[in-house]
Amino acid sequence: MIPCTCLVQEGQISSAIESALRSKLDGFAHEAFGVGVNINWIEVPKTGGFTASKPSTSSLVLIQAPVAVEQDKRAVLLGELCNGWASETGQTLNEVVGVISDPAAA
Amino acid sequence: MPLYSCNAAPGAISEDAKPKIAVDITRIHCDVTGAPPAFVHAFFFEDAPHQPLDGKKAFMFGSIRAGRTDAQKAQIIEEITASIHTHAGIPLEDIMMLTSDTPAKWVFEGGAVMPEPGEEAEWLAKHHHEPAD
Repeated sequence: MIPCTCLVQEGQISSAIESALRSKLDGFAHEAFGVGVNINWIEVPKTGGFTASKPSTSSLVLIQAPVAVEQDKRAVLLGELCNGWASETGQTLNEVVGVISDPAAA
Repeated sequence: MPLYSCNAAPGAISEDAKPKIAVDITRIHCDVTGAPPAFVHAFFFEDAPHQPLDGKKAFMFGSIRAGRTDAQKAQIIEEITASIHTHAGIPLEDIMMLTSDTPAKWVFEGGAVMPEPGEEAEWLAKHHHEPAD
């Protein structure tokens, strides 16, 4: 299992979509790295999230790869990760931040 | 990115103070680094287990793109800590702040891998990301 942190705004993502995202993230990690994810789902309290000084509608998903990732592969995976998140939630890509880190940076 | 995540003791940072601190964070980060405001996220939590307070009243953790100088990071820490002190009334000694460097190439935002520090204008033009006011 590899660590995955999801930071979302409170009330923005329904429990049904959260469940679908959890499943999708696990599938993504299995496909990309051959392992599952241990998800830390964190909700930013209402009135507590700001992007560019304005109330935030952004979600961040951070995955720590089990091994160092070549940048070409990382870029493709990041695109898949964020597009998959956006398609599930209906958010735009301007509202989704994805991070795939190498293990040494954890 | 950057993501500034602030955990605080319950009630230590009022609802009125949060947007003021968020405005300061955005201004300070952009003034110091030259980054566009659209990239700056400021999230506030209370008693959040993922970011222990370790005896402090507030703990601000900034995940910023790698490539900033030590002087830039020190200035960010000094000014954001002062903003929390000013708007929330928390004594400086009860505020902890750290930053961590994240390589830009690890981050995807606005539909593309993030630019290296200093390459934002070209990136924004290419990816049509609308900076905030």
